Amino acid sequence: MEQNPDKTRRKVLISMTASVGAVGAAFAVTPFIASWNPSAKAKAMGAPVKVDISRIEVGQIIQVAWRKQPVFVVRHSQNALKSLVKVENKLADPNSISIEEPYRDLHPTRSKSNEYSVLAGVCTHLGCAPKYHPEVEPKPWDATWLGGFFCPCHGSMFDIVGRVFKGVPAPTNLKVPPHNFQGNTLTIGEDKT
Amino acid sequence: MKHITPLFFLIFATYIFSAGDGAPCGDYGECDTFKPDLWNSESLQKGFSTYINYCYGCHSLKYSRWNRIATDLDIPEDLMFKYLIFDSEVKSGDLMTGSMIKFNAEQWFGVAPPDLTLVTRAHSPEWVYTYLRTFYEDESKQYGVNNLVYPGAAMPNVLLSLQGQQILGCKDILTYASNGGVKRDEKGNNITEERCGYLLSLNNGQLSTEEFDQLIYDLTNFLTYVGEPAKRVRERMGWYVIFFFIIFTALAHLLYREYQKDYH
Amino acid sequence: MDTIYKWFNERLPISNTFERHLSKHPVPKKVNFWYLFGALASVVLIVQILSGIWLMFGYENSEEGAFASVEYIMRDIDYGWLIRYMHTTGASMFFAVVYLHMFRGLLYGSYKKPRELVWIFGMSIYLIMMAEGFLGYVLPYGQMSYWGAQVIISLFGAIPYIGESLEIWIRGDYYISGSTISRFFALHVVALPLMLIALVFMHLVALHEVGAGNPEGIDIEKHLDDDGIPLDSVPFFPYKVLNALVGIGVFGTVFAIFMFFFPEGGGYFIEAPNFEEANPLSTPEHIAPVWYYSPYYSMLRAVPDKLGGFVVMAAAVAILFVVPWLDRSKVNSIRYKGIWSKIAILLFAVSFITLGYLGTVPVTEIRTLMSIICTIIYFSFFLLMPIYTSFEKTSVPPERL
Repeated sequence: MEQNPDKTRRKVLISMTASVGAVGAAFAVTPFIASWNPSAKAKAMGAPVKVDISRIEVGQIIQVAWRKQPVFVVRHSQNALKSLVKVENKLADPNSISIEEPYRDLHPTRSKSNEYSVLAGVCTHLGCAPKYHPEVEPKPWDATWLGGFFCPCHGSMFDIVGRVFKGVPAPTNLKVPPHNFQGNTLTIGEDKT
Repeated sequence: MKHITPLFFLIFATYIFSAGDGAPCGDYGECDTFKPDLWNSESLQKGFSTYINYCYGCHSLKYSRWNRIATDLDIPEDLMFKYLIFDSEVKSGDLMTGSMIKFNAEQWFGVAPPDLTLVTRAHSPEWVYTYLRTFYEDESKQYGVNNLVYPGAAMPNVLLSLQGQQILGCKDILTYASNGGVKRDEKGNNITEERCGYLLSLNNGQLSTEEFDQLIYDLTNFLTYVGEPAKRVRERMGWYVIFFFIIFTALAHLLYREYQKDYH
Repeated sequence: MDTIYKWFNERLPISNTFERHLSKHPVPKKVNFWYLFGALASVVLIVQILSGIWLMFGYENSEEGAFASVEYIMRDIDYGWLIRYMHTTGASMFFAVVYLHMFRGLLYGSYKKPRELVWIFGMSIYLIMMAEGFLGYVLPYGQMSYWGAQVIISLFGAIPYIGESLEIWIRGDYYISGSTISRFFALHVVALPLMLIALVFMHLVALHEVGAGNPEGIDIEKHLDDDGIPLDSVPFFPYKVLNALVGIGVFGTVFAIFMFFFPEGGGYFIEAPNFEEANPLSTPEHIAPVWYYSPYYSMLRAVPDKLGGFVVMAAAVAILFVVPWLDRSKVNSIRYKGIWSKIAILLFAVSFITLGYLGTVPVTEIRTLMSIICTIIYFSFFLLMPIYTSFEKTSVPPERL
């Protein structure tokens, strides 16, 4: 056995080999982690959806599927939009401060258009699909109903542009997905700014 | 030294395994040579365009996606949609499932035109390159053509207008003596023999032979790409990985030798 | 940090195990590169398990979806192609390494007393590996997957009386179908890997019980120091671990060359017909198994009778199990055996490699003749071994390494 091993040389060699090995291991791990990312198939299925909005009448709602979720497209009358102030004292977050609001302050519709709202049809409580009740008349869930969305699962209420009421199970306003209007085509899922 | 011998042996073995034998090309004999050029965007784009215009009507590329080709071949998506996608329902992330309904295809051709995504991997690129150029006139067949590489193929010659017609004819060819020299008669003229089964061009196509061969080269290049889109990345990455392992081996060797001093 | 370690160490034999099997486990101090292949085999096993699990994230084990799912992995999953090629290259590397590992055993008498059980566990591993490779190759459901499965399953049909029912039982159907794929998938992913891991573990336990051999074939425990440790040994950790590290570096280089530049292995790792979806109505021109089965395929084709061919193939593998009892030599290592053993092992290696080559090419009369000759040489190596190892003149191995 050699009596005086060169401790320094050993330390240097060990650390060099170990660091090269560690770098190699990090690179080797990368494909395994990256392969978990959404595949091209998933990305294709989650691709943006184009909607022809030319045939939606005033006050009408249509429902479109995007990423396996319902998305509501509502065409509001200008009167309905002007009456939004009347419901504000019922709302928990009228200015959408507590959530990520992509098109904040553009229009009262909360979207990129001054006429259409684009809302994720997913109740922010536990995920049921709220139903659209545009009629301004007393309802079993609200004697002074001014139109909006009512979630049948646990009774959450939202106004016609998806803002949540105070005192309901749902904590936040309905989410607005990224979207883009071009002529008569609404693209949901893509925001070409 | 004792580590190098097995490494040398194993690397030598990789050359044996990598040697692609002269791919047999049916009645044509050995396939023509074909060297892919997968980083040549221009060639690949031309090949893609040829494929869409002449092949995609019958042959799907059902494992390939439009947007992958657009990205890899540097084609802007809007141009691709404008010039190469003729179905308005298609989205860029879709698979290229082709335009022909399988049932109809079987009725018309007797067999559905196969999907071609992997054709250069199942046969070789050389095979595809040669096959597309060896159609010849044959009245006994359903569509009036036969193919030397794949005799009895049910495929009509879609490239006929570009290549022009070819027939099987006879040629006078040189004869050779046993020592390899060309046989000559007393006056010094070459002694020739008539042999048949050669492809002879009637030169009535839109393209010259060189132009047509280039077109088919680009098309085969594209099909080679589509057979394995990851091939370009794989080979680039490979150099880095091998480099890493060589460095690692060198260091590990030094470390091993250092500790070996303890008992040697 | 120390207290955490102590807490665990009081409840699990961490330091004990580390000393017994690593830092104080004596191994012969002088071995050659042939002794690295065992470690490399365990590395490849881990590579196969990891890449295999990752492939499962994309693979669809149904008749309709299998082939397309492999292309999905190759194209749509980020780095899916890398993981796929890692697995296919790994399969071939696994067999290459194991064949070299087995040959080391034949060279240096690693199977001789007291290591017979190590050898038997090893042979069992080889047998399971062959099944595992076959099952895995069927899963992509290309032309060669289908027709290779057809050929191998029909071999079982050669067994008298029960043959045909056995074929149906194996397939789970009257022909190869989705039932076959699902069960092969479960066997390939769970059942056989579990068996492999258990057998590798037993192989190592048996090895550690008796200690590793050496190229001189001598018993290093004959000469101990005052503490009872063999004089010609070094502790496994760190010395042999570092040696293994070099081996891994070289091996990694070769692995990477194949994986990144020749993943199809010239058509010997992934066969060209497998890039076409399985078609029960159309048989490929040449049905050949992957390279690591080709020696046995040659033997099968050399025997004109179907059952006979099957029996010869099975016997070729079975005879390996009993080598510890066929070898009657006074010495372990080829270095000190007589001229007959040296000629025999050379002929054996040449015949095995020749059989391997012949299994990959189409049949001709001359090739069949060569296959028969090589098969005879192959079996003679084993069957004549009790004779030539007893009667040949051996030389005396050294006392010390």
